[in-house]
Amino acid sequence: MFGDLFTLLGMSFFQRALIGGCLVSVICAAIGLFVVLRKESMIGDSAAHISFGGIAVGLLLGVQPMIMATVFSVAAILGMDFMKKRGIAQSDSAMAIFMAMGFSVGLIAIGLSNGFSISIMDYLFGSILTISGSDLAVISVLGIAVLSAIFILLKEFIAMTFDSISSKMNGIPTELLSVLFNVMMAVTVVLTIKVVGIILVLALMVVPSLAALQLKTSFRKTLLAAVMFGAFSTFTGIIVSGMVDLPAAGVIVFTDVAILLLLVAYKHLGKEPGNAVPPIKETKTFRT
Amino acid sequence: MTSAESETVLEVRGLRAVRGGAVVIENGCFRIAKGEYAGIVGPNGGGKTTLLQTILGYHPRTEGEIFLFGQPADRFKDWQRIAYTPQDAIHFDEQFPLTVRELVSLGRVRRSNLLRRLNGKDWEKVDETMELMGVSEISERRIGQLSGGQKQRAFVAKALALDPELLILDEPTSGLDASGQESFYKVLGNINKERGTTIVVVSHDLAAVFCRMTQVICVNKYIHQTGDLNVAERLLRGAYGNHFRFVMHGDCECCCVPEDV
Repeated sequence: MFGDLFTLLGMSFFQRALIGGCLVSVICAAIGLFVVLRKESMIGDSAAHISFGGIAVGLLLGVQPMIMATVFSVAAILGMDFMKKRGIAQSDSAMAIFMAMGFSVGLIAIGLSNGFSISIMDYLFGSILTISGSDLAVISVLGIAVLSAIFILLKEFIAMTFDSISSKMNGIPTELLSVLFNVMMAVTVVLTIKVVGIILVLALMVVPSLAALQLKTSFRKTLLAAVMFGAFSTFTGIIVSGMVDLPAAGVIVFTDVAILLLLVAYKHLGKEPGNAVPPIKETKTFRT
Repeated sequence: MTSAESETVLEVRGLRAVRGGAVVIENGCFRIAKGEYAGIVGPNGGGKTTLLQTILGYHPRTEGEIFLFGQPADRFKDWQRIAYTPQDAIHFDEQFPLTVRELVSLGRVRRSNLLRRLNGKDWEKVDETMELMGVSEISERRIGQLSGGQKQRAFVAKALALDPELLILDEPTSGLDASGQESFYKVLGNINKERGTTIVVVSHDLAAVFCRMTQVICVNKYIHQTGDLNVAERLLRGAYGNHFRFVMHGDCECCCVPEDV
């Protein structure tokens, strides 16, 4: 079994899968923590479903499907934000409209093409082991761009996520940064489709963050933990799927959920992570 | 412009604000000069929070003018000079993974340090403000694990971290017991005196307002302002109604009791 593993690790397709998969997981977990705290998890799911339409249209027109998926996903996230802010529809209704539209466009494109169901299945359920050199280049460039933006704007994103009103008062361009965040979320969703597919994108975005939140620690440590959980799950998932011939997407998400469940179980057994320090008495001493 | 006008931090003229179709503030006028420590009092539903939100532009006004540091509020851009802690600030998502120190540091996040990390001076200010508000000891605790009083102090520390010229607090002592409230108002008084920060506090603690503050603004649809304690009882009757009497102890202690007690 381990001999097979070493053989696999020597193969370039497997190396690309590991590098690309782990990079996408890191971005996904980093963006995902903000998405969870902004209570916008379903927007990520909607963007993934909408990109189905983009992929199908791309395949129909002979345009790179991931580019069309990015266009559809960005347009839809900005469209949902616009509808919500203008009072045209509540957040959930706006998501429903765009999800339905994305799927219906996808079905029409499939109908017009007389079927390209095999390619579409790759996008629905992921195909990390088929990742090409150019896919890896796109993932690396976009992924590093997203991670750099998070790193540079970390304090602004934390401030906006926690209290957008005070952030606006302090002169932070919240509207502009909100648009940037939405674009980053859309790009992340599209990059993740290659790893776990449209159906499971949300899991890769949300589950590592939820697991990290169980640790009840500072923001930076929570972010680091989410990223580590995400990368570990993807690495484990790809290795296991390579060794025992199981779908990588399924094993990745299963590992993610297993980490979350273990942490929740640990918490409920009375050894709550992050609560090791005994509560201190409330102080009422001000420096006067 | 006279020197008195140039020293005006906040001025409201003929303000009318409507909420849910009902007029909440009618013909409201008041003025707060630089360095004042002003208390806004009035019964629940009297329009205190609406007044603050209208001043800060979160709630539209239908009539009147608002001036911040001498500039019309519509054209005012220098919001970093003002810090505001809303009434519901402490009712945040308790799962949010922030420590007290991280929370206070968010007060230093502003347009001028966009795209760069907080520097040593910023963190010094964060630590100094935590010390001032008595939350240094709990700086590494998550804000979701704090008591109500600790949360209030942490949020005020966040507001103070940017060294604002005008600090506006909406019911900041709602989570504190009597002794905590007393200490809290005392430290605000010191900040007002030592730093010259103009402070406006919405409070139901009439004793604190009358003992410690230099201006009293009574809000109950109409707005009345005084810096004279002797006028205050009349204003309070106007705000709370004639079925209460206001018992003054010594120079400044005040409590509000029903007429039949």
